[in-house]
Formats: sequence, structure tokens, C-alpha cells
Amino acid sequence: MATTALTPAASTYRSGLYAWLTTTDHKKIGIMYLINSFVFFFIGGLLVLAVRAELAQPGLQFVEDQFYNELFSMHATLMIFVFIIPILAGFANYVVPLQIGAPDMAFPRINALSFWMLPLGGGLLLLGFLTGGAAAAGWTSYPPLSEDRPLASVGSGQDLWIVGLVLIGTSSILGAINFLVTIFKMRAPGMTLFRMPILVWTVLVTSVLVLMATPVITSALIMLFIDRNYGGSFFDPRVGGDPVLYQNVFWFYSHPAVYVMILIAMGTVSEILPVFSRKPLFGYKAFVFATAGIGALGFSVWAHHMFTTGSVYLPFFSLMTFLIAVPTGVKMFNWIFTLWRGKLTLATPLLFALGFLSMFLIGGINGAFSAAVPVDFALHDTYWVVAHLHYVLFGGSVFGVMAGFYFYFPKMTGRMLNETVGKLQFVLMFIGFNLTFFPMHQLGLAGMPRRIADYSSAAGWNDLNLLATIGGFTIAVSMVPFLWNVFVSLRSGPIAGDDPWEGNTLEWATSSPPPPYNFDRLPEICSERPLFDLRHGRTHPAATMPDPGPAPQPTHSAG
Amino acid sequence: MSSTSMARPSRGSVTAVAIVVLLVVIGVAAVVLGFDLARAAQSFVDGLYPPRAVTAEGAQIRDLYTIVFLIAVAIFLIVEGLIIWTVIRYRRKPGDDTLPAQTHGNNLAETVWTVVPTLIVIFLFVVSWQTLNAVDTPAATPDTHIRAVAGQFQWQFDYLDNDGTTVLYTQNLATGEGGGMAVPAGRTVRLTLTSPDVIHAFYVPQFLFKRDVVPGRVNQFDFRVNEADAGQTFRGQCAELCGAGHRIMLFDVHAMTPTDFDAWLQERIQEQNATPPPRPSGEAGATVDISALNVAFEQAEVRVPAGAPFRIVFDNKDQGIPHNVAIHRDSPTGEELFQGEIFSGPDQREYEVPELDAGTYAFICTVHPNMTGTLLVE
Repeated sequence: MATTALTPAASTYRSGLYAWLTTTDHKKIGIMYLINSFVFFFIGGLLVLAVRAELAQPGLQFVEDQFYNELFSMHATLMIFVFIIPILAGFANYVVPLQIGAPDMAFPRINALSFWMLPLGGGLLLLGFLTGGAAAAGWTSYPPLSEDRPLASVGSGQDLWIVGLVLIGTSSILGAINFLVTIFKMRAPGMTLFRMPILVWTVLVTSVLVLMATPVITSALIMLFIDRNYGGSFFDPRVGGDPVLYQNVFWFYSHPAVYVMILIAMGTVSEILPVFSRKPLFGYKAFVFATAGIGALGFSVWAHHMFTTGSVYLPFFSLMTFLIAVPTGVKMFNWIFTLWRGKLTLATPLLFALGFLSMFLIGGINGAFSAAVPVDFALHDTYWVVAHLHYVLFGGSVFGVMAGFYFYFPKMTGRMLNETVGKLQFVLMFIGFNLTFFPMHQLGLAGMPRRIADYSSAAGWNDLNLLATIGGFTIAVSMVPFLWNVFVSLRSGPIAGDDPWEGNTLEWATSSPPPPYNFDRLPEICSERPLFDLRHGRTHPAATMPDPGPAPQPTHSAG
Repeated sequence: MSSTSMARPSRGSVTAVAIVVLLVVIGVAAVVLGFDLARAAQSFVDGLYPPRAVTAEGAQIRDLYTIVFLIAVAIFLIVEGLIIWTVIRYRRKPGDDTLPAQTHGNNLAETVWTVVPTLIVIFLFVVSWQTLNAVDTPAATPDTHIRAVAGQFQWQFDYLDNDGTTVLYTQNLATGEGGGMAVPAGRTVRLTLTSPDVIHAFYVPQFLFKRDVVPGRVNQFDFRVNEADAGQTFRGQCAELCGAGHRIMLFDVHAMTPTDFDAWLQERIQEQNATPPPRPSGEAGATVDISALNVAFEQAEVRVPAGAPFRIVFDNKDQGIPHNVAIHRDSPTGEELFQGEIFSGPDQREYEVPELDAGTYAFICTVHPNMTGTLLVE
């Protein structure tokens, strides 16, 4: 073996910024995922503030129609593809190797490659604004609208959108392979599959979804690119193509992608609830099966986005969509009964996790309306759907992200965030969120379609739109205490110590922040809560586990 | 334990205080501003229901909505109540460092909350399937055939004969008194949907229904407006993003009594047959060319002499999209002085325009008010 041929990292000149830019350490890459995602979160947020400002009252005040279409198309694209999906992958990147007692991801260099495709892809998406107009056909970019240049987006924004998404998709696929190999091959001795932390399980299922679904949307995007640039006729009905084919292929990815956007947030919440209630997760195995069940059923519901096209078999997709509520409901009860008879410490991570529970509940229930096909005929493409998806992706995923951020910030930086400021952020965000998105249910029922830049003041939508705009700006204001909290804590926050929350899982067994390669020595693992067992003197029932010995170290050197 | 206690305040007192303060502030503000809270609550609840349905199909969909809504509210109240109660009841007391019972699960409870939701969703599936069959099954012999053609960014309504093949009358204006889709209340209408360009969606909120208009595909559905709703007008709108003019794709649906409808349609058919497109008289003085492509005029400015009638040769180059030329005083929103016939491209018309005084006028497309140009009369 020519392992000696590997040149040791010249760590002497790797310092400061250069160390971050060239790192293959999963923790640094994870933190860069978070930073990059938050940057795009703020950009996507600014875009949607312009949208809300325009809709605050009837009449076009601030933007023109075409630019309005660019704003909401890019808002959704950025939030989905360069915020929610990557930030969850970022948490996974940081936490999974720590939770399974591994020194790093299985393929550290591929891990770095996955990350660096994201700012590149996100930048390409945004470049449209500078080259004559960004993509303006919605984040779904249905053809023929996304194909007919004169009638849809001017400039090359739509092409940049396609190329950017293909890059981001490739990043996801590489990341998924990396996670799967890491989880299957690098778990610490004693950590059987059913002793893995729930977060790791959700990353596992998410990675399978990404691996199976992302190539499908990549094919749709490449067909769209060929149609636009090389005279293809996949989706153009004037030359024998089928626009509904695109919708099938698009949603075959994009519905499972909804679970990619929430499962890891669910996993994070499932780590936080046991810690702050001092109880194990209620029904661990049922939770695992529910997660796998959601993943499997997730592939059979895509056409519920297409009920009004008149070209799908409605009863099948209606039934499957209703059924997917069952494993989701199982999880909800597992979470509540984790808290039940616990001893709850209402720290900021738990508050955000409770926000997740109570808001995702609404997002789950109002989804059932669309599963009833005739009701969907009324609600499809109205603001009801905007309300629904934000209760899932903001009320669910973003609150989950914030919970995870407050939970893991001490581990990542070694410093605590301020609890009072954190709670202020939670209260502002919670109120702003509901002010913004609850009225949208009523707007949708009253008949307001999505994606319109203006509405008649005679339509009766004025008050609710103004309320939603006030809520949107309240959410923006809630980012001030958030950034202030991070800024102050990084400079002068209290030292966190290894385990500030009395955690259950292995990441709390190492220093904060953890050293390169994470662990010197691992505790014995005989349940999904090795640290809890250690703290309370619980050992393996059979007491036959050998001492796992020194933690595994990498055979190559990568700084 | 000092760092632990710093990181773990034992109560959510700060949040509780913040929430109470906020509620008080909202309450005081409401009283000060004189909000009628009862009326606000009533309109909030009303807002959680769709509008009153004006079709037989819409009424069934609204009934289904009510079933789903009541079950949803019940589940929401139970589960959200459980969350709130649990959080309040099981807060950790200050200084309490004991462990609660380490419950890992309960097979009975887990079975119950798997089986009961399964039964609920299967019930919901069955009732929604029944409603679907009732509202989405085509009638054997619909009474009236109408075809809606949705193009960027305009609706056109073709009235067809009983076979649904021959066009009897075409309505080019989508809104207003003289425009929109007239339907006979109490009769079954079969609406066929086609698009020459991109995907649109036919959506009337009070029908509680929408269907996509997909190019290259013919969608159709049947509906019957309640007889009691004859004489009313309902607002409709495109519901599928179709480009920059998506928001202006509005249309009106006028419900008429069947006798009024028959008389109206006959009148319109005769009117259409009686007035052939105006032909050039040969007397007009100046001629100007105006053309439209990609939902825009190709000329920003045209000039004609003052004080004499003139002729506009209008070339609509947009496949399947209706345009015209209308002249307004001063600006596109000024008084309308002339309106040319609306027709779909690619086609040409010649408009004879009466004399105008010297000055600046705007010319626009009636169906696409964002298409504008300047007419200088000198």
C-alpha cells in the first residue's frame, strides 16, 4: 500500500481564511453550508419583502409585472434550493459524523466539492438579474411559458436557472452518496442501526430520496435546456411535445423533495425534545418506520400537484396523499408523548421545536384539504396553497432550523447564545409568521390566485393582504435579534463547555468545538442515548460489550 | 452546574411575560382603535369558508369542504391543545434535578394513533371520491356548448352549436357589460378549454372550481349555474402563471335565464352576420401602418395629418392572440375616441378613423392595456 505516497497536508500555511477555503473537515464544511444558506436566506427574504410590499395594497406601486414574476420565482428557487435543502444538509454534515462517532465523512474531498457547487449554483441563479432578467416562470418553470422567450423570461435568466439547478442537484447527489456511505460504513463499534440517533435516520432516508429523485429532475431540466436552445420538442405542443410530461417529471422529484426539505428538521427536533424533557424519544422504532414510510409513500403522491391538469388518474393520487398523513401523524404523537410527563426546560431550542410542532401541525392538516380532489379544484393555485406550503416549510422547516441552530451553536462555536434575545426572536418570528401566512388561507378561499402582482380593490382582499405584509416585515425584524445574538455571542458569549444541554448523543462527548477528527475515545454504546447512559451509570444489559478502544482515526491526512 | 443553570433558565418566564404583554398591547390597541371584536371574529370565521357556491357542482364541493374542515378543526384543537397543555403542565420546577420516568413507548397507544388516523383518512378519501364522481362526470347531453380560448393575456368565448363543432358566435371581450361569458342558469353547460400559447387555468371562485387550459390538449368540464342565480355576474381569473400579464387575465361570467340567454345569443349571431368587417371606402386620406408582435406594438409613435379622416392598417402578427387599436385622448387612460375591431392574429384589418384635432393621442390595445403607443396628429 502506497499510503505513504500521500503528501501530508502542509498545515503550516493553512491558516485563517485559506484554511476555511481549502478545508475538507466536515465540521468546517458544515458551518460553511450554514453561512452560505443563511446568506441566500437573506437574499430570498429581501426579494419576498419586495413582493409583500407590492401586494400590501391594490395598484402597482413598486415593481413592474415582469420584475414581479422574477421576484417570486427567484424567492422560491433560492429558499428551496440554496437555503432549506442545503442548510439541512449543513446540519447533517456537521452532526452526523459526530453522532455516529466517526472522524469525518467517508469522502472528505467530495464533501468539499458538494459544498462549493452551492455558492456557484446560487450565484448562477442570481446572475440572471444582471443579464437582462432572472427566471420569471415560477420556481416550477412550467413549459411552454419557460420555453417561449418572447412571451416569458427575457434574457438568459431561465437558462442560468437551469444550469444553476443542475449544479445544485449534482451537489445533492454527491452529498447523498457521501452520507449513505458514512452512515453504513463508519458507525462506532456498538452502534447498530437501531441505536443510531433519529437525526441520523432522517439523514439516511433523505439521502435515499435525493439519490432516487434528483436524477429525474435533472433529466427534466436538461430536456428543457435542449428545448430552449437546440430546437428540441420535448415539451412544446406546437411541435408534438407535451407540457404535462414536464410536470410529471418535475413533481416526481419535487414532491419527494418536500420531504428532503423537512425530514432532517424533524430529526433535529427529535434530538431536541428528549434532551429538554429529560426523556427518551417516545416510540423510537415507530418513528424510524414512519420516516421510512414517508420516504416510500413520498414517491407515489407527485400528481396531487396536477389534479387540475385533467390528465392524471385522480383517485389513486388522492388516496396515497391521504395515506401519507398517517406516518406523519404517528410522528406528531411520538413528539407530544416525548414531552408528556417529562420535565421540560423551556430554553430557546425547545421553544423553536415547539413552534415547529404547533405550526407543522397546521401545515399537515391544511394539506389534507388538497388531498380531497374536489376541494383541491377550488384551492389549487390560490393563496391557500401558499399558506399551506409556508406552514410546512417555514412553520416546519425554518422553525426546525432555528431550533437546531440554537441547539448546536454552542457545540460549533464553544459559546452560548443569549437566551433572552433568543426568546425575543422566537416571539417575533412566531407572531410574524402567523400574521403573514394565516390570512393567506382566507385569501385563497376568497379566490385570490397565486403569482399575481396586483388585484382589484373591489375583490375584497385588501385587509388580509395588508395584514400579511405587516407579518412579513415582522419576520424580517425578527432577524435583527437573531443576527445581534450571533454577533455578540461570537465575541463575548459565555463559554459553553462540552455538554451545555445535558445531551444524549455522542456529539456532546467531545469538546466544543470538537477537535479535528472529533474524538480521542468513545464511550460504550448500548442504546440510542450513549451519553445519557454514561451520565446515569447505565451500561449494556448483558455487559458483554468489549471496550471499544481508541476512536478510529483517518488513514489519510486532510486538514 | 453553574454553566448549566446559565444555559437553562428553569422557566419560560421571559416568553410568558412577552406574550402576555403583547396580548395586552393588542387588546388595548383594539379597544382604542374601536374595533368591533365580535364582528371581526365573525368575519374571521366566515373567511375560513369558501364563498357561496353558484353552481350545482360547487355546492357539492362546498359540502365536502365543510366535512374536511370540521374534521380538521377537531384534530387541530385536540392535538394543539395537547401540545399546549403538556408544555404548561410538565415544566421543570426550579431545582428539580430528578429524572422523569423513562418511558420508551406504549404499544397500545401507538396502535391507536396509527389505526384511528388511518380510518379517518380512508373515510375522507371515500367521501371525496364520491363527490369527485358527482362533480366531474360529463353529462350525456349537455344543453349548451361553449369553448374558452385562453391566450396571453385574454379570454375568448366561442358559442358552439349542439354538436359542439361549429362556432355560432365569438365573444372577444372578456369583461364588462358587453363582454364576458354569458351562460344560461339552470342548464348544463359544457365548457371546452383550449390555449394557443402557454398553460392557463379557468377559475371562477364562486364555482369552487378550476381547470387548466393546456396547449395541445383539450380539457372540458360541465357545470350548471343555479336558476336562482340568474341575473348575477361572477368574477373569473386565470389561475396558472402565464407571463407578465397574468394578473390582467380576468373575465366575467353573466348568468342569464335560459330564455334571456337564447334571445341574447340569437341577437348576437344576427348582429355578427349583419356587420361584415368594415371595408376601405377609398376616400380616406392618409394611411398609417401599425403592427403588433409578442403582445407589443412595433411602433412607439405614428403621425397623421390633423382635420381629416385617416386609415390605420393594423397587422396583428401574434398567432392566436387577439388585438386591436383604440385611440385615447392624451394618454392611454384618457377618453376613448375610437375603438377598432378585435381580432386574432396572424391577420390584418383596416380601420377608418374619423378626423381628429391636432395634438397628442395614445393608441392602445383594448385587450392588453399595457400595449401602448403615441399618435401625433399634426
